[in-house]
Amino acid sequence: MNNSKTIVIITKDNTLADIINRTLSDTYSVSFFQNIQSSFDFIYNSMANLLILDINPDDTLTNNLLKGMKSDPIFCQLPVLAVVDENSAPPEWQHLPIEDYIWKSTLEKEILIKANLCILRSERVVDINPLTRLPGNVTIIKQIQQRLDNNEVFALAYTDVDHFKPFNDKYGFSRGDEILKMLGRLILNNVKEAQPHSSFVGHIGGDDFVFIMDVNLIEDTAKTIISYFDKIVPTFYDAEDKIKGYIESTDREGNKKAFPIVTLSIGIAHNKYRKFSHYGEMAEVASEMKKYAKTFKESSYTIDLRKTTDEST
Amino acid sequence: MDAVTLREEIERIDTLPTIPSILQKLLKVIGNPKVPLSEISDCILGDPALTSRVLKMVNSPIYGFPGRISSVTQALILLGLNVVRGMLLGVSVFEAMEKAMVGLWKHSLGCAVTARIIAKKKNLREPEEISVAALLHDIGKVVLSLKFPKEYKKARADTEQQGLFIFEAEKNHFNITHADAGAWIAQRWNFPKNLIETIKYHHKPHLSKYFPVEAATVHLSDILVRAIGFGFAGDNFVPPINPSAWEILKMNNSTIKEILKEMEESLEEAEDILVIPNE
Repeated sequence: MNNSKTIVIITKDNTLADIINRTLSDTYSVSFFQNIQSSFDFIYNSMANLLILDINPDDTLTNNLLKGMKSDPIFCQLPVLAVVDENSAPPEWQHLPIEDYIWKSTLEKEILIKANLCILRSERVVDINPLTRLPGNVTIIKQIQQRLDNNEVFALAYTDVDHFKPFNDKYGFSRGDEILKMLGRLILNNVKEAQPHSSFVGHIGGDDFVFIMDVNLIEDTAKTIISYFDKIVPTFYDAEDKIKGYIESTDREGNKKAFPIVTLSIGIAHNKYRKFSHYGEMAEVASEMKKYAKTFKESSYTIDLRKTTDEST
Repeated sequence: MDAVTLREEIERIDTLPTIPSILQKLLKVIGNPKVPLSEISDCILGDPALTSRVLKMVNSPIYGFPGRISSVTQALILLGLNVVRGMLLGVSVFEAMEKAMVGLWKHSLGCAVTARIIAKKKNLREPEEISVAALLHDIGKVVLSLKFPKEYKKARADTEQQGLFIFEAEKNHFNITHADAGAWIAQRWNFPKNLIETIKYHHKPHLSKYFPVEAATVHLSDILVRAIGFGFAGDNFVPPINPSAWEILKMNNSTIKEILKEMEESLEEAEDILVIPNE
């Protein structure tokens, strides 16, 4: 077992803490906290591998805070193991983002095995983009198709970073990845802030992201994302390039050329005026809109306004 | 204690305690979903401890772009309010801090306001980032006094008894100054280079290799705020302005006069942040 793995334990019970410390500290690095509030600073700054929570079904504050934490894709991967007292009524699992439980009475005997298994299970690959931890293709397709099947009216946006290749050529892939991680956060936070429920953000791969929102909210959100992107992205350039406002790199033919600071293009499709039955049709319109947005020099979004399914524009 | 051990000790600090009044205010603001982001970031920018906490978080390797973000507004956008709310709940409040250090908080806030005025006057890029650097420039004093309370008290007593500047007294006791300590912790927390360098060279801006203009701006703010007598920075004297700062910023007496005038108005507003809401 790898020593660098970290387990966060939240309990007010000293006896419990002693047992856990005794059984786990040889294998894992363990950090104890009295309550979930005080653990956030640790969790948000250093990725933990498992959270062991001494659970009290009546403690709604803790349960709400736990939900809040798990709604962030970076932290929803963090498995939570609940310690449950068999003398009280079991918690209502459907309202708690918890992966597994252990009885208090069997703690000493089983906690190490449970902890090992919880961590291993969380590491198995699911449909998550490893870079941004946003849901990947399978989930994206499912999200679009489900809405179409339910006859929901919604808008679908595709994004693309322009002049991204020369950026990668000049600064290397790891800095390009930094931009993608930033963009993922930016889209996620703005979409969820504008529409906390039934919105969706996914990462197809590379510089292609997808988000789904209500038709009346998506344009403002796209605008906000674009304006923040333009403000933040220069910090990913070296100081002298930032001042110059362009970088020198080679184009596809191998010629030295000046490339502007990267911009963001967003294409939006929706089914308010026209009908789609298959996710592929809708994705195609969104990507067509994205290509149109790319023809503008600055960061921009374009939304499909065509009324019928025929191809007249 | 040798420099290596000293540095290790300082780097072990995880977070700085904040003063209660600002936290109270902030929890009120962030609890209201209608409050715009700019108001939340203004509130955070009123406190060096909270500002450094937010920057430490957004620059942590977890999010995947360490050393990039030195603006609080951008940090809030990238972390998301959910994370920020969670963070605020765990903030430790240090009542004693208010007594021992409230003058320093006020001094830092004054510098942030002044640096923004200078940055705008001189048409510098990113005035918010320079203002953040000014807010955090004395973070080393907090770090030293938290980690070595007895020793730091002695250093502060020396400033009065021997008529020393605080950085001279620090040098005598620790062999380093708060500028070094601040830069160490900023580096440990993956702060962007502009912040680290500005903190490190806020007494000697000409030594800054990449950000002399920023360092000179913070240096000048530091001296002007002391001269006006806004807050307390650890000693009772106003050190001279480093001549290099004049050159780097191309300042003359009439610009300084204009800056001082603007400071008067803005500092009055800034003082409101330090007042406890229900008092």
